[in-house]
Amino acid sequence: MFIDHHFSFLAKCVYNVSLSLVADLRVRPQSIVRTFLISFVASPKSMREFLRSYRIFATLLIGMSVLGVGILATYPARADQNESLLRPSLPDSPTVSSNETLVEIPQSLTEIYVQGGVPKSLPQLIEMEQQQQRVAGRIGACTVNVAIGPAQGCGVIVTASGYVLTAAHVGMRPGKSAIITFSNGRTAKATTLGMNRGVDAGLMKINDGQNDGKPWQYANLGRSENLVAGMWCIAAGHPGGFDRERGPVARVGRILKVRDESIVTDCALIGGDSGGPLFDLTGRLIAVHSRIGNDVADNLHIPIEHYDMSWNRLAASEAWGYLPGFKPVLGVRGDPTSAVAKIEVVKIGSPAEEAGIRTGDVIEQFGDAVISDFNSLTAAVADTMPGERALCWIIRKGERIRLSVEIGRDD
Amino acid sequence: MKMVIALMKDRRPFRALIQRAGLCVFALTCLGNGVVVSQETQIPDWLEDRMSLRTSNRRDNGDMIALVRPLTEAIGESVVQVVSVGKVVALGVIVSEDGYVLTKRSELSVDPIRVRLASGQLLPARVAAVRRVNDLALLRIDEVGKPLKPASFVDVTPPVGAFLVSAGRGGNPIGLGSVGVGSRKVEHSGRLGVQLYNSDGKATVEVVLPASGAEAAGVEPGDKILAINGREESNSSSVMRVLREMFPGENVRLTILRGSEKMNLDAKIRDLGVMLESENDSKVNGQRSARLSGFEKVIQHDTVLDPSECGGPVVDSQGRVIGINIARAGRVVSYALPASVVMQDVSDMLNDARSSR
Repeated sequence: MFIDHHFSFLAKCVYNVSLSLVADLRVRPQSIVRTFLISFVASPKSMREFLRSYRIFATLLIGMSVLGVGILATYPARADQNESLLRPSLPDSPTVSSNETLVEIPQSLTEIYVQGGVPKSLPQLIEMEQQQQRVAGRIGACTVNVAIGPAQGCGVIVTASGYVLTAAHVGMRPGKSAIITFSNGRTAKATTLGMNRGVDAGLMKINDGQNDGKPWQYANLGRSENLVAGMWCIAAGHPGGFDRERGPVARVGRILKVRDESIVTDCALIGGDSGGPLFDLTGRLIAVHSRIGNDVADNLHIPIEHYDMSWNRLAASEAWGYLPGFKPVLGVRGDPTSAVAKIEVVKIGSPAEEAGIRTGDVIEQFGDAVISDFNSLTAAVADTMPGERALCWIIRKGERIRLSVEIGRDD
Repeated sequence: MKMVIALMKDRRPFRALIQRAGLCVFALTCLGNGVVVSQETQIPDWLEDRMSLRTSNRRDNGDMIALVRPLTEAIGESVVQVVSVGKVVALGVIVSEDGYVLTKRSELSVDPIRVRLASGQLLPARVAAVRRVNDLALLRIDEVGKPLKPASFVDVTPPVGAFLVSAGRGGNPIGLGSVGVGSRKVEHSGRLGVQLYNSDGKATVEVVLPASGAEAAGVEPGDKILAINGREESNSSSVMRVLREMFPGENVRLTILRGSEKMNLDAKIRDLGVMLESENDSKVNGQRSARLSGFEKVIQHDTVLDPSECGGPVVDSQGRVIGINIARAGRVVSYALPASVVMQDVSDMLNDARSSR
């Protein structure tokens, strides 16, 4: 089942940002960066390429404008982060910015980090535990609560400019307004972008101009191809919705199963966690929470690679696919060639019948979508989620009436 | 061997069934072919998936439990089971040589209470003192043979991401989990589950909430609540005031006037959040403690516990007893009272108990 949550809370504003190198800058590179970003979104092939270009650009910008050559030496090292931290003893190993989640891992933990497994001794368990604590201490700042209407889920910020990975079922559909709440209670406005519903991957972006030109704290990225069963991982999120007295909750567990479309862990999740991040022992984001089974060890996450592969489509607000068993249905038939969305058949026991839709009705509006013909109705239904309620405007015998329909699911 | 351990740890009958079926299939294929066959070719993927991969890699698998066993075994003699009406209802911690045991109060429904020591000895006990606010009870074993070994608590706050191990009777590790969030107070929302109005100057039931203790007890709209626990209440606001003092899991006796008939109904206070949750949520949350909220200060961790496994000690990765489990509150939440709270309450309760003897 999906694990979004229907609750609403008032968020308290107590913003307290820790200053970082980039935040200290006197210049405000944001407008330049934004121009750069807009022109850049279409060209890179993947999220990673996009992020790398962005970071190198930001690095150059920072290096040239204020801080000089010292920074130039460290930042490009972080731009391609995947191997560098496995060599913690090198004297020139990168300094980790307080804006990110990356934590260096001691040499003695390299094997357990890469291959997973049980620590060999209690001292090694304690060493791993300290690593978990360091990661847990960093992941709260980029983990956000996402509220769209009465529904709550989570998201994780992955760029200083405010791109947020989430679950497709949290974002619902492109172009929706969302309120995101940071761990400290601060809120910001965001807009949903694309979603690959086939794996439940969704993207959104924090609207520009809400951070005084400062960068957002973000998560560093891992790679799905490095994941193996038995690896240790740390989940964050807001189980049960945002609770300002509590904040985000960390859970340490292990990967139980790696598949292309999802990974399974024993990091227990529940409603409200959807869209939240799963990190490895170095603080790299490896997956995003999606759904759960009844067993406490049945927790499914979307591997990070899916955001990478579909970055262009997601950033361009495309939505496609559906999870098996989660195809939204209305239960009506009509003539796709007709000029209006006239209902010819209402299936018995369907959501349409339950809502009171009858043969001969002409649907003019479905949710937010204006309906011109039967194909546009099909598209509008495909853009909803099972369990969601949509208001329909219908012409029946010359009269305009309003009905509320609960979308069903095709098993 | 690993598989057997995993099986025994698993509490869900369905999963256990699948796993058992898996073992049978495996056994049969070996027998039938007479040669050693690859497991992958003979066992369907889904079964293989369920049986070995998902179980053998869990954070609390046999190897991990074996690794942390010395931590809990070190305090084994101080961990007991609390038995009420022939059933184990909670764990307990020995806090004095002369027979005082700390446990979770709300699980003690009726006398007689008995305590099973690490040695297996089953001894009669009685409640000597309670602390309602944190759901603690101090039991007194009247006839202790030789001096018992009390646990010593250490007032340290485990950081977020730290491992915690829960100890069962005799120091058996019963669960491994991690600290999820900083220690905090947990408010409660205990409700009887009625909406009231005043009619003829009496508190009258307007609505009975579904899934509430009021509904389970048979309270109906129109009932007039005359008294709570034998104390007369004059109107709806006085009834409300009394009810709001009650914690989830506590029982109330309602004296009710229905038509011209006067009757007593016993109802349980339940947590509002639990009453309002969806069917799906209550399914995935599994078995929970009745008293799962309303604590002065808790350490939130994610160890999977049965409600009857609360009341026992929690140790950190260095073997320090940092608190006791006080509630299983949901799929992702178990609460432990930290040592600071436990030590204060135990010392107060010991004073109460000893001065009244």
